[in-house]
Amino acid sequence: MVDIDAYRERARAWLDSQAAAFGHAARRGLSVAEDLALGRRWQAAKHDAGYAGISWKKEHGGQGLGPLQKLAFEQEEMKHGFPNTYFAVSLGMPVPIMLRYLPDGWKQERARAALRGDEIWCQLFSEPAAGSDLAGLRTRATRDEATGDWIINGQKLWTTWAQHADYGVIVARTDPTVPKHKGLTYFWVDMKAPGVTVRPVKLAEGSSHVNEVFFDDVRISDAQRLGPVGGGFGVAMETLVIERYSATDPAGFGPPLALLIEQAKTDQVRGRPAIEDGRVRERVARTYAIQNGLAAIHKKSLLALEAGLQPGPEGALHKLVSVRTRQKLSEFAIDLKGVSGLRWDGDGERKDDWVASWISAPTGRIAGGADEMLLNTIAEKILGLPQDHRPDKGVPFNAIAQ
Amino acid sequence: MSLLYDEAQQQIATEAARVLDDAYSGERLKALLEAKGAYDQEFWKTCSEQGWTAVALPEEYGGLGLGLVELGLIAEACGGVACGAPFLGSSHAAAQAILRFAGEATKAEWLPRFAGGEAKGAIGFADAQDMLPVAPSLQLSNGRLNGVKPAVSGGGAADLAVVLASGEHGPVLALVVLDQTNVTRTLVDTFDNSRVTADLAFDGVEAIALSGDGLEAARTILCLQAVVTAHEQVGGAQKMLTAARDYALTRKAFGQPIGAFQSVKHRIAEDYVLVELARANAQHAAVHADHPEFGRYAAAARLSATEAYDTVSRDATQVHGGIGVTWEADMHLHQRRARTLAIEIGNMIFWEDALVDALAEAA
Ligand SMILES: Cc1cc2nc3c(=O)[nH]c(=O)nc-3n(C[C@H](O)[C@H](O)[C@H](O)COP(=O)(O)OP(=O)(O)OC[C@H]3O[C@@H](n4cnc5c(N)ncnc54)[C@H](O)[C@@H]3O)c2cc1C
Repeated sequence: MVDIDAYRERARAWLDSQAAAFGHAARRGLSVAEDLALGRRWQAAKHDAGYAGISWKKEHGGQGLGPLQKLAFEQEEMKHGFPNTYFAVSLGMPVPIMLRYLPDGWKQERARAALRGDEIWCQLFSEPAAGSDLAGLRTRATRDEATGDWIINGQKLWTTWAQHADYGVIVARTDPTVPKHKGLTYFWVDMKAPGVTVRPVKLAEGSSHVNEVFFDDVRISDAQRLGPVGGGFGVAMETLVIERYSATDPAGFGPPLALLIEQAKTDQVRGRPAIEDGRVRERVARTYAIQNGLAAIHKKSLLALEAGLQPGPEGALHKLVSVRTRQKLSEFAIDLKGVSGLRWDGDGERKDDWVASWISAPTGRIAGGADEMLLNTIAEKILGLPQDHRPDKGVPFNAIAQ
Repeated sequence: MSLLYDEAQQQIATEAARVLDDAYSGERLKALLEAKGAYDQEFWKTCSEQGWTAVALPEEYGGLGLGLVELGLIAEACGGVACGAPFLGSSHAAAQAILRFAGEATKAEWLPRFAGGEAKGAIGFADAQDMLPVAPSLQLSNGRLNGVKPAVSGGGAADLAVVLASGEHGPVLALVVLDQTNVTRTLVDTFDNSRVTADLAFDGVEAIALSGDGLEAARTILCLQAVVTAHEQVGGAQKMLTAARDYALTRKAFGQPIGAFQSVKHRIAEDYVLVELARANAQHAAVHADHPEFGRYAAAARLSATEAYDTVSRDATQVHGGIGVTWEADMHLHQRRARTLAIEIGNMIFWEDALVDALAEAA
């Protein structure tokens, strides 16, 4: 039995000691470049203190601990608003998957650089015409029969932090004559290679952390392939479940309910403290019940993990419920402020600013599995209900009506 | 105590479900709907034979010394079959009131009888819309009760009631034996008659005042009862969820199972979410029965269980189409029970207020 509580205590004490230098207050007013630089230093500090790659194998440069320690650390880290966002995708999926597939040597160098924040990897899956339906992607990789190299052409979209990325993992179509899932192959690419163009996409919330990425005759060697030719969809699915054990937040990565309660004591409705108003009370109570339920489900799955059981499919439920609850609560909190709710704080953080939380909530309901896809997952994987009607099932990709 | 059920607890749950499923008869339950004042005596016998009445009472009074977690699991199984009597929860609440707030003699007299299932208890706190009245209309003075408690669940057949009355120094809980002269029980026709709901009128009836602040004590008992009831609601909601899922897999329309239509499929997935949140809240509250914040956990359990059972039984009926709205189908048993459990021990508004008061005080 591992002593998680002691681990958590140590992590918390260390994180507290770092908050002034790297936390929320230290980030106020920084440009994106400055914030990224601070983020890299933060990642290096974590690495030096033994808090990078917590659940990774030692031979990959990690700490060789389990998911429980990783989760404990992430939950504590979340409280301070550290600049860790630049590395979440990188260390969450692309680097761990390439560590599984590539030969020793080079990959350890990359892993170490990624763990220290010196290098960043991105994940090039989605495209303009392929998001939820990932297998419908169109980026082509064609074989140069003379050299065995692959030539990549096409466009990716929504690639998080591609503008800062050194490397990426990509799924491309290598055979359009077979049904869509079967004609895909998985590679890693050098984002600085000739023919790769990255253009940031500005999001509704004002920031530009996603990009469109164009590939024009980008040549890569066959040694950059992960898994078999035609096996790319399977590797993509494997990539997406690596982050199964990641920290959840019953508040959906928005402000805690306690913040609303505090405000409702001073804000007024009809000349009385808002907390006395029935509509406010209903909202607070219902939200508490939802978040408390999510927290209990999460606690239960941690205990199951500790007991050596496999985690269940509760992740889909958690994401679905927590983010839309955060979205509605944020709307409500802004509402309560009346016209002063219109104010915008450019430095507002979604964990403690209702407007920042509200304006960025829609991305949370799309990225990493849209609500509707999560409902499909619950219905099909947990309840055993039938798949949707899929007219493209079994049809060769090049014969599907585009 | 852990949020993961141990082997013994799982066994209790499996065994309870097996016994109740074997004995289930939708026909018997439907007959009870039309028999004001009757309840499912077979079910109640099962509760005592299986030791369920004893589960959460201390061994020194003939109980099994287990707790809310185990009783909750049994209540969940009872909820799944829309059991035909309210006494598992109401008797436990009455017994807890005695255990916590009565003198030794009273405990020794009544608790073994509750544990053995010979005594049935009822809880009468509310005055019409007011679940916990600050100034109850029922009066207790000189050890005598005068006045009325309306619509007491189980009141038509219980042996003993715990009522909230106005005493000489404010609200007080009182224990009153119902089989005595000057107690008038008027059965109420309800949409869920196996609850044997009755108006209780007292005309100078002897009663024992329990210790402690009456409102605080009543709140404590309600929270315990809320957690047992939340499990019952989860059991009912789960039953309706399974019914909806099964029907969606077999019923075909437009050339495919109706479960392949997303408006049906996603509705059932949303219902699953409600049931899982309610289950987690109920279990979490049961495990934290002795926690200083038990009150808010119980309220959360109550709110999400009520929402889950109401919603899922409504949705499951919809998924069944025309067949779902017949007397013959058992869906309405659950719709009735969902509404009954939603209000018997305090409606949503009551529990929302209880929860927000607790949260705002702490914040
Ligand atoms: C902030 C952000 C960061 C992202 N980062 C990355 C990244 O780093 N790498 C990457 O590869 N991708 C990334 N994505 C892309 C993300 O995975 C996709 O946006 C997502 O999968 C949805 O795809 P889409 O945008 O094409 O929407 P669509 O798939 O076109 O969906 C549009 C709508 O249709 C619904 N819909 C689709 N199919 C069904 C169905 N079968 N049943 C019911 N409804 C359906 C969806 O739920 C949605 O509401 C990111 C997205 C965002 C917003």
